[in-house]
Amino acid sequence: MKASSTKPSTAQKKQNFSVYMKRYWQLYVLLFLPMLYLLIFKYVPMVYIQIAFKKYSIVESVWNMPWAGNNGFEYFIKAFNNKDFINALRNTLMLNLLDLVVGFPAPIIFALILNELVFKKFKRVVQTVAYMPHFLSWVIIYGLALQIFAPSSGLVNMVLNNFGIEAIPFLNDSKHWVATYIFLGVWQNFGWGSIVYLAAIAGINSELYEAASVDGCGRFKKMWHITLPGIKPTIVVLLVMNLGNILGSGFDRPFAMQNNLVMDVAEVISTFVYKNGIQGLQFSLTTAVGFFQSVICVIFLLLANWISRRLGERGIW
Amino acid sequence: MKKKLLAVLLAASMTLSLAACGGGNDTKGGSESESSNAGTEQSAETEKESSSEEAEAPTEEAAADPSNGELVDGKFAETRKIVVEVYDRGNDGGSDPTNNMYTKYIQDGMMERYNVEVEFKGVSRWTEVEDINNLLAAGDAPDICVTYSYPTIQTYAAMGGVQDLSGYVEDYKELLPNLWDFLGETNIYWDKEPSTGALYAIEARRASTNRIATFVRRDWLEKLNIPEPTTRQEFEDMLIAFRDNAETLLGADADKMIPFSISYDVGWRAATIIESFRDPDITDRENYINGFDDRGITQEGTKEAIRLLNKWYNDNLIWKDFALYGSGDTTEGDLQKSGYVGAFIGNWDDPFRNGEDSVQLNLERLVSPDAAYIAVDCFEDSKGGYTKYAYGSTDRKIFFPTTNDEPLASMLYLEFITTPEVIEYLQIGDEGVTHNKLEGGAVEVIAATGDAIQNSGFNLDYTITCNGLQLVDDEATKKSIAYSYSGIAPELIEKADKVANTDARSSKNVQVGTIEAEEGIGTALGEKRDIIYDNAVIAPVDSFDQVWDDGVADYLKSGGQAIMDERAEKWVATYGDVDMLPE
Repeated sequence: MKASSTKPSTAQKKQNFSVYMKRYWQLYVLLFLPMLYLLIFKYVPMVYIQIAFKKYSIVESVWNMPWAGNNGFEYFIKAFNNKDFINALRNTLMLNLLDLVVGFPAPIIFALILNELVFKKFKRVVQTVAYMPHFLSWVIIYGLALQIFAPSSGLVNMVLNNFGIEAIPFLNDSKHWVATYIFLGVWQNFGWGSIVYLAAIAGINSELYEAASVDGCGRFKKMWHITLPGIKPTIVVLLVMNLGNILGSGFDRPFAMQNNLVMDVAEVISTFVYKNGIQGLQFSLTTAVGFFQSVICVIFLLLANWISRRLGERGIW
Repeated sequence: MKKKLLAVLLAASMTLSLAACGGGNDTKGGSESESSNAGTEQSAETEKESSSEEAEAPTEEAAADPSNGELVDGKFAETRKIVVEVYDRGNDGGSDPTNNMYTKYIQDGMMERYNVEVEFKGVSRWTEVEDINNLLAAGDAPDICVTYSYPTIQTYAAMGGVQDLSGYVEDYKELLPNLWDFLGETNIYWDKEPSTGALYAIEARRASTNRIATFVRRDWLEKLNIPEPTTRQEFEDMLIAFRDNAETLLGADADKMIPFSISYDVGWRAATIIESFRDPDITDRENYINGFDDRGITQEGTKEAIRLLNKWYNDNLIWKDFALYGSGDTTEGDLQKSGYVGAFIGNWDDPFRNGEDSVQLNLERLVSPDAAYIAVDCFEDSKGGYTKYAYGSTDRKIFFPTTNDEPLASMLYLEFITTPEVIEYLQIGDEGVTHNKLEGGAVEVIAATGDAIQNSGFNLDYTITCNGLQLVDDEATKKSIAYSYSGIAPELIEKADKVANTDARSSKNVQVGTIEAEEGIGTALGEKRDIIYDNAVIAPVDSFDQVWDDGVADYLKSGGQAIMDERAEKWVATYGDVDMLPE
């Protein structure tokens, strides 16, 4: 149709491409290994998503497994009829939202405070101490939590007992457990999370502060009018990524902290999938659950990104 | 030049990525002969291999060589290799369960007798079902697997992941005299599927069927001048006395007093109580229909038993932290060893297990030489007896996953491990090192040190076909039981043995075929049951009914009811309208 007009331009493009490639091919070679990694470990496994729509068999190839009932949606229907799954879904949302509300501002506030510290040495010590919990695994953190918060042998409750105050069920009552869970999450992550913000703060033009000082701004005014707007793009990007993960959940944190008394709030999708899928052998059901989770996560991510762009921020792509 | 290099690189990446993709789906193209790295396909292939082997067996049977020419003078011509599962109990001061003097003994013996190399693979005893599930799902299971959970085997068998052993036990019968002699038809065919005749597991034999007992601190009873409790009420009064006399019993540690300890697994750790609430005249049918859950959540009477625990919990008689510690955690054991725990329920020999690290020996060292846990019978049933359930004659279930391509070598391993002399050596080791001979032929186990330490009582993790002392000489076995826990006073063992056997009954073997509703649901339901029990125990007294009823309703709705219905239906289909099975 438009052969005459497109032909020269494709030829042009081809030439541009080869010139471009000649110049940058080393970079693409460097990219090769990471791409291979993504391909093998992230894309090839997607072939097995079809298990969600099929009756799983341990010996059959995934292509030969028979389709599940109800046009392949048998396991999705089963999942949504499963009270435990609905419960896990609710808990995942609840815990992640709380984490977001409480845990998201914490590193920002911490970074702002750190930034105001005058003594360099003190600042470094505080920073290092705050980073450390990030390197502890959740199993260890829960071990510490048991020593501190257990109802009869935990440090806090022993002290309370000695004052004649009744033990606080930090770990064995649902409501208290949620608070402990969120608190420990914040404790583990606020230091590490502040690194990005500190870096962003360091990138703010210092002349702005000088100018503000000349204009008579105090600490809080500077914080409000210079620092926060300066790191706003970083905050938005991180918020978008966090929202994308609203239905996702790490495995080790809830799994390590669960106990039978708080299961009504502690069972989340990842632990539900582990228990029913890997331990309970209901692979199709749990693949369906995992697939559902991923789809919702992607939707949230797109939505958050769209909103942030509408608000005039950059978003993540 | 550069262009060429780029082309080569791109081509290489293309082929690589294609090959990577192909790993997932090359059977689609029909190229099944190509070996692939995907675990699921590998197992599919080995299944084909093994089934073709089975198919060959009958054609050459005329040669009167059951091994089908594989064995020369009872040995493989070429060295074969098998991997065998062994439980890892993670004991303090234990040895590596996959590499110690006993594994070497087995490895040398198998090499010498059959020219088979044996490798051991450790699986945590406390999470064995989960671990073996993971291994099976990954196609990485040992050739000889062992589990206590038959439903797990059934689930994998339904997916085609477990070999049918019926051919092997018959075809190789002549090669397996000890196995047949020791296990007999009963245990070998215990799990035979009535409809298909398939045999997915062989049941090990339990020499001692002792199961549970209740233990109390004898020295505390003496200190407070209380007689041994013989009824539920007396037991409760005793717990109250422990609680109220903490100062006397523990002095400065009075605030650590735990009159009665249980774990998150309430159904097991209160088993003598729960079973005493069950009707002693329960029919086999009723028992079977409610028998899926081995902690008896749907059985009549269980609710009242848990209500009793609930009352005790709210009266501060039960350890407050019990539900926080999961499977395999040692916290409760440490409390018992430190002498803070007045009473508990468990395996009939729980306080005496683990040699030097046993609860009893720790008590004697840490608290006082008089401190002791003694078994008592104090939970009377509705007829005044002490009904409790004992084990049947079966123990672990041995099965071969389809990834096992050495079925003959694996069967010979079972034969070797069932040889009476091998069992005896593994159980009691060398004289002077792990045992002494007493007058009258009894064997006394002594505490072994270093490499000779046994990680499990009588090395039961290695004698996978046998649980319980089984010497070559039966008379000696009987005499030796009381001396079989090194360092423990024989009268403590004798008392526990007596209690464990008083009014003990065992459930009968019901063979009605696969219950489909049970497949893949055991873990989830088991977990649900624990959650229900735990929450019912800690509920405020006046909301106990609601917590329990809601929990059980949820349990039934989540699959429990379907299992009971199918069991009831298949019982009628197989046995008709009878309530009791013949003895």
